[in-house]
Amino acid sequence: MLRLVAGRIVSSIGTLLFVGLALFALTRSGPGSPARIVLGADATVEQIAQFEQAHGLDRSFLSQYAAWLGDVTRGDFGKSFVTGRDVAAEIANALPVTLAIVLFAFLIALVLGIGIGVLSALKPGGAFDRVSRFASVLGLSIPAFWLGIVLIRFLAVDLRLLPPGGYVPLSAGLTLHLQSILMPSLSLAVYYIAVLARMTQASLQETLRGDYVRTARAMGLSSRQVVFYALVNALPPVVNLAALSFGYMFGWALIIEQVFNIPGLSRALLNAISQRDFLLLQGIVFLFTAIFVFANLGADLINRVLDPRQRAAA
Amino acid sequence: MSGLRKALDGLDWSGWLGAGIVGLIVLAAIFAPLIAPYDPLALNIEDRLVAPDASHWLGTDQGGRDVLSRILFGARASLSVGIGAVLIGALIGVSAGIFAAYKGGLGEQVVMRIVDGVASIPLLVWAIAIVGILGVGPLPVGPLLLPNEVKIVVLVGGLFSPVFARVTYAVARRIAGADYVRARFLQGASHWQIVVGDVLPNCLSPIIVQGTLLVAIGIVIEASISFVGLGVQPPQPSWGTMLSDARSAIYSGEWWLPVFPGLAISLTVIGFNLLGDAVRELFDPRSEARTLVA
Amino acid sequence: MSPALLSVEGLRVGFRSADGGMIEAVRGVDFSVAPGEAVGIVGESGSGKSLSMLAVMRLLGAPARATGGRVLFDGEDLLAADEKRMRALRGRDIAMVFQDPQSSLNPALTIGRQITDVVRAHRGVSSAEARRIAAEALERVGIREAGRRLASYPHEFSGGMRQRALIAMAIACRPRLLIADEPTTALDVTVQAQIVDLIAELRRELGLAVVFISHNLQLVAEIVDRVVVMYGGKVVEDGPVEAIERAPRHPYTGLLKACVPSLSGPVGPLTAIEGAPPRLGRLPAGCPFSPRCPDAIESCASEMPALIAEAGHRTACWRPR
Repeated sequence: MLRLVAGRIVSSIGTLLFVGLALFALTRSGPGSPARIVLGADATVEQIAQFEQAHGLDRSFLSQYAAWLGDVTRGDFGKSFVTGRDVAAEIANALPVTLAIVLFAFLIALVLGIGIGVLSALKPGGAFDRVSRFASVLGLSIPAFWLGIVLIRFLAVDLRLLPPGGYVPLSAGLTLHLQSILMPSLSLAVYYIAVLARMTQASLQETLRGDYVRTARAMGLSSRQVVFYALVNALPPVVNLAALSFGYMFGWALIIEQVFNIPGLSRALLNAISQRDFLLLQGIVFLFTAIFVFANLGADLINRVLDPRQRAAA
Repeated sequence: MSGLRKALDGLDWSGWLGAGIVGLIVLAAIFAPLIAPYDPLALNIEDRLVAPDASHWLGTDQGGRDVLSRILFGARASLSVGIGAVLIGALIGVSAGIFAAYKGGLGEQVVMRIVDGVASIPLLVWAIAIVGILGVGPLPVGPLLLPNEVKIVVLVGGLFSPVFARVTYAVARRIAGADYVRARFLQGASHWQIVVGDVLPNCLSPIIVQGTLLVAIGIVIEASISFVGLGVQPPQPSWGTMLSDARSAIYSGEWWLPVFPGLAISLTVIGFNLLGDAVRELFDPRSEARTLVA
Repeated sequence: MSPALLSVEGLRVGFRSADGGMIEAVRGVDFSVAPGEAVGIVGESGSGKSLSMLAVMRLLGAPARATGGRVLFDGEDLLAADEKRMRALRGRDIAMVFQDPQSSLNPALTIGRQITDVVRAHRGVSSAEARRIAAEALERVGIREAGRRLASYPHEFSGGMRQRALIAMAIACRPRLLIADEPTTALDVTVQAQIVDLIAELRRELGLAVVFISHNLQLVAEIVDRVVVMYGGKVVEDGPVEAIERAPRHPYTGLLKACVPSLSGPVGPLTAIEGAPPRLGRLPAGCPFSPRCPDAIESCASEMPALIAEAGHRTACWRPR
């Protein structure tokens, strides 16, 4: 089992490195070399060559990539050619903001999604079940950024309950912080509440039909315990889906941040794009990719470790 | 085709509703030039920011352009990106999956590793980054000048392909090893005949299920990318850009500007989701089509 | 004669069919079990034997319901009891083991956890004491190194061991009645005999009453005192095991017995019961076996014979042998 886990981790790291190489090639081959951007359109050939040699841009892709990777593992994402600022520092400034939104959204999705799914499964066909199924279809279909806009209109502009945008860091106070991330996180979470609720409902409904649940009832266990017996078997696929969702959330958070004017990684990324700051872009995209790869890895490992059938095979 | 008849019998009311919505939107997109009451690009400053009334059913925007017409034409962008991406993804993915399953050995390993690699790429981030790097201008390809959306379609299509590749690979491997296929092979059927005659038909249902659900995702992706300015470029109408333009209206009260494009997206996505769910119930209730998340 | 521990009177179980009508699967069943007595219930699939006992335990799944009759356990009507009362009885006074040990155990929890949960549900003991009781129960059903085995998961046990573990779970709280619903059907033949012997042994050691449901008359006859034969939702014969074995009175029982070829004696053609099992909802007004009965006369199909007792041996037949 341990060997399997280690193998998957190594495999994921390998995939990340490979994908990182593709990313590297893309950013380096995009129109507009860093030299031209920094030196200007009328730079001479010698000036460009000098620049490139000074920054190691004349070496082969692979060696540049290897050098960059080496730096990254030491926490050095390089200095931007365009702004001169330390890329790692810029990312470190923006990351906690995006992280706050995603983590809060993830928490909301887990609690509400699983909760709704469990309640739905316990009374199939009941009023709660039918309403939640209907709401799930809506939740899956309404684009998060539109929901954000609608929420701003109602809660911020009309009712003035929450600020219409901007970000208040935790250091400025918990209430203010939560108020500023509530709407963005909620908008982000709704789709995943629906996804997790559906999965939980289907999974629990199925496990409740299992023979071992009948045994638990036949032995006089309380209804709470019976549900627990079923839940233990119903949750692994849900947790797997949650791990995947965590990875996906980061992507959609970029859009949500734009709706709510949140100074997170999306602002850094879009600035990098408009300023053709490819070193910064590379760093940010690599970070996102790493998060995504490890979220997928987590989902896969959860499946293998928690699934009793897999355990049986191991 | 008995499969088609089974399909028609088996869809329940939500499936029909989904199919109806999808059909309507597709027709609206195709016939937009004929049905739209106004030219979606026609600026008309005198009639700017008109609330929905008899002459402009859904109102007008800051430039006096008719919202209804823009929504009808916007359907074209959304559908073409959504459906186009799925078609490209299916084409690449199915080919890769069948190739890997049949070739075996090193070819199989390499292809499936590449599939794993592509599946490890966070779609939205890379779409934004790549369009960012390439720029939002039109793409000159030979004699043609392709609009920005084409980059998105190809990109998203490529990133969708692992889903199709994995499904096809699993089915193809299962079938290639099946006894009846071996029997046919011994009887002289060529690999190609087996692929077309046995493998593809069995892949069809999970591909259709996944494809329908992916169209919904593709539509939201297009809207999101256009929302941040990296998708359909103005003045071409897209539901995403309409929502982006409508952001100031949140404060100034022209409710029709953010509401209708958002409803359009939601309705379209609901349609494809209902249809996809119904088709999944029909063809594949247990799953070769696992729950799809994005 | 001591009062019956379990007395089933006129039990009816039905379920709603697809078109809304009610189909009766158990149509007025009477039998009783004395304390410490072992009773076998024998019949084909669809005879209503499992449903009857599920009704006794009030474990019928949603589409099925008990629609009539009484089930007296120690004088208390279980059909009228509330769910809280039933939870107290289940696993403590009456316990049931089912057919498929593989799926009847929770794959995600250890055997020890599952047994101790049952013990602690009924007795307010500490977890250490519960583990001791669980280990003792495992020993009693023949699982060696019981202490260590508490930490095992079901997939680490063989089929026979799993069924033993389930039986251990059932007897851990010393119930007075053990219902075994086809406990050996899913097991290998060699293991079947072991489980049957185990049940017999437990009955002797603990003074349990046992209800053993099976489609196999031979198997059941080895350990029970009485046999109740069911067909088409009704009891057709009910008597001491020696009488049933030696001289079955109902034609169905006789045919059941004849179906099993004997290992001794000359090899002849195999006997089979003609016709197909009854379809619920399409049963004749009279004796459900009449369509297939070689001794049937006209009135058999139209009028249901009552259970007539004769020296503790009851038969529902117009023409008993």
